[in-house]
Amino acid sequence: MISPDIFYVEDDQDFAFIMQYAVKEVKDDLVVRIVEDGTEAMRMLDSYVETQQKPKLILLDLNLPGLSGIDLLKKIKEIPYFKYVPVILFSTSDDPIDVKRSLEFGANAYLTKPDGYTNLITCIQSLYDFWFNQNRSIN
Amino acid sequence: MNTNQVDLTNCDKEPIHIPGRIQSHGFLIAIDIDTLLIKYVSLNTFKFIEVEAADLLDKSILFLEEQMIFKDDKVQLKSLLILGSQKDSYEGINPYYLNIKGQPFYLIISKSGAYHVLEFEPAILDFDIQGTVGRSISGILAGRRLISMMENTADEIKKIIGYDRVMVYKFHDDGHGEVIAEAKNEDLEPFYGLHYPASDIPKQARALYLLNYTRIIADVNTNDSAVITTSDNFSALDLTHSVLRAVSPIHIQYLKNMGVDSSFSISLITNGKLWGLIACHNYTPKFIDYKARESTKLIGQILSSALEYRQEEEDDEKVKLLLAHAEELQQSLVADQDFISALTTHRVTIKDVTHSTGVVICFEGRLYTLGQVPAEEEIKMLVAWLTTTMEDSVYHTSQLPEVFSPAKNFKSTASGILAAMLSKDLGEFVIWFKPEQITTVHWAGNPEKPMTETPDGHMDLSPRNSFESWAQIVENTSASWTREEIASVIKIRHKLLDVINKKANEIRALNERLKLAYEELDTFSYTISHDLRTPLTSIKSYTELVLATNKSLDEQGKMLLNRVLAGANKMAFLINEILKLARVGRSDLKAEQLDMGSILEEIKTDALNVDGARHVTVKIGATPSILGDPTLITQIFANLIGNAVKYSVSAIDPMVVVSGEDGGDEVIYTIKDNGIGIDLNYHDKVFELFKRMDNAKGYQGTGVGLAIVKRIVEKHNARIWFESELKVGTVFYVAFRK
Repeated sequence: MISPDIFYVEDDQDFAFIMQYAVKEVKDDLVVRIVEDGTEAMRMLDSYVETQQKPKLILLDLNLPGLSGIDLLKKIKEIPYFKYVPVILFSTSDDPIDVKRSLEFGANAYLTKPDGYTNLITCIQSLYDFWFNQNRSIN
Repeated sequence: MNTNQVDLTNCDKEPIHIPGRIQSHGFLIAIDIDTLLIKYVSLNTFKFIEVEAADLLDKSILFLEEQMIFKDDKVQLKSLLILGSQKDSYEGINPYYLNIKGQPFYLIISKSGAYHVLEFEPAILDFDIQGTVGRSISGILAGRRLISMMENTADEIKKIIGYDRVMVYKFHDDGHGEVIAEAKNEDLEPFYGLHYPASDIPKQARALYLLNYTRIIADVNTNDSAVITTSDNFSALDLTHSVLRAVSPIHIQYLKNMGVDSSFSISLITNGKLWGLIACHNYTPKFIDYKARESTKLIGQILSSALEYRQEEEDDEKVKLLLAHAEELQQSLVADQDFISALTTHRVTIKDVTHSTGVVICFEGRLYTLGQVPAEEEIKMLVAWLTTTMEDSVYHTSQLPEVFSPAKNFKSTASGILAAMLSKDLGEFVIWFKPEQITTVHWAGNPEKPMTETPDGHMDLSPRNSFESWAQIVENTSASWTREEIASVIKIRHKLLDVINKKANEIRALNERLKLAYEELDTFSYTISHDLRTPLTSIKSYTELVLATNKSLDEQGKMLLNRVLAGANKMAFLINEILKLARVGRSDLKAEQLDMGSILEEIKTDALNVDGARHVTVKIGATPSILGDPTLITQIFANLIGNAVKYSVSAIDPMVVVSGEDGGDEVIYTIKDNGIGIDLNYHDKVFELFKRMDNAKGYQGTGVGLAIVKRIVEKHNARIWFESELKVGTVFYVAFRK
């Protein structure tokens, strides 16, 4: 199994669909792994630990059915294997309260979901440039 | 004490029930109940029974009987007394007819302390009292109204006992008397309508009128006869129940001043109180015997009970009318949701619960009036006075100008007020008014001058010498408020308070519900905006995706999809604005002292960092600190300064000036621009959600900004207002509490 570049938890199938397009647009060979809820995310992450696969970036939607983005964030931060994997909270909400809580629980960044495909490409391009190129050393 | 001299030091205490004297048309003998020995005798016995008074003292009753035997009559005095003692009443005995020296006499026995008091007075026996009285009573009761009953009474009494003048005299609440009916010889000056001061009939005299229903003064010009007693006895005989009791020298003088030689009175008593008198005057000496007096007493009693009954009936009618009005008003209060309308617009108004001529309701800071009332300013003064002075819930006076002198200016409408307090704190009252009644009271003599000075400089209480009518104009006075009116007001006040309290509770409950609804609305708009964003993003994303990846799209297709995108963008913008507004409502206020200088500088930078706004000059003046939530306050100024910049970009030398100033207990910030201005016709709409002015059409905006500003201002208990002129500019003011 190929280790994913981006592990993305997103329950909105439309957004997940658009995201796949956007990632391919930024870099064709980037591997995105998308799961729909927290439980599945945890199962997948456990299997990553087992098989020693380490995503380069984890994106978490904030509002998820069952385990929320914040819940997932806490759990991920407790797993030593993912200690140096950047976790980014990714949400439609721009409520300062959500931003504050996410950062407090150890999110490496909080991104408000860009609206539209064009903006999303810009956003992913910037993420890719920062986390995949400039900071390659930390991985 | 010499009882002939009564002056101011003892006038009120003159012991008129123990004068030590009797009128001399009869004689008196008092006998010890236990020993049957004679202990008191009037000095005039010799004239009647040819025995000197002194010779009777300490003699047995049998001795008296012997002295009184004339011809074959043997007077059984002793057995009469024993009979009276056994029954503890002499009613069955009085009057006891007997013959003394060939003259007819009545013996009237009463008890005084430890003595039988025997009084002998002439019997006249010259008319058929029984028959006359029967006819008289039916004549009297023929009167339908009280006043005609009084007039009939005076007429009938005059017919029966033939005095020159017969008056029905009524005591008013303050004790003064008025002649309300009169029957007189034609040649006499009328006393009808005259008022007599309360002092004319002193308290102790009134007490005697309650005990003795009739009282005769046979001749004011004859000398009284002293009552003597045994040498070992020093107490005077109590003559309370005596028919011969001598008259107070003051009263004798009083009658003499009036030219009256003899008088007779009958008490009128209702509900145990002295209601008045039937006063009979004769201008020559006149005596009517015991039986005649008893007959008139019967008339007095019948009139008394008729009075009681008719007075009650007449009062009842008035009470019923007020009650009916109060009842109808209460129904209006239930039926009409509007409190004021219920009290003022129906057939029966709040004015009708009294016999007032005007009423004002001071409620929720407004005055509602009906009928004749003082001017608004005058009412306000009156309300202020009542607020400070009124202690009970209901206050009334019929002489307002006497207690509240500014009321002299409106005495013609409000010499009398009856005020019911609804809330002292709020200055809420209902006040009923009665106009000034310039009444002329015809006093019998000047009531202010009852005393004359004696040559030795001693104030002598003597009755007034002149009985000419002395008119007194009574000013600053209205008709008085009756018990029934006051009761009616007390009752209606309770009802009003009930309604007010109920309304207040309803408003409180409504307020709670409104608050909840507001919170729900905030939550709702927050959630809905949030939830709307996701599908909107999908629309936008898919559209862009199609545009970016579908190479087969022609220009027409691209143009249409771009219109979809524009619509989605506009919608996203609106949703964001509503979210901001909802967030103001949801957020908790975290107030702190703010460094306004740096906040405003930052806002200025942002405001100018908008396309096409760089040429606008933004000046920041004084920036006093204010107490507020940093995020929210920033939003206020970002909106106001942003607007100021936005709407002045087209001006020549666009200029926005922001500065703060200390305004006492507030800090007031002004944001002034020379932009397009706001049409004052839209004055009220400026802060409403989604409202944009006509002249703002060319400018970007949603109509949410100022609504957000207003919410934040309200949340801070601050105030916001503006001044503006089209094409000249606008100044917004925001005043923050310190």
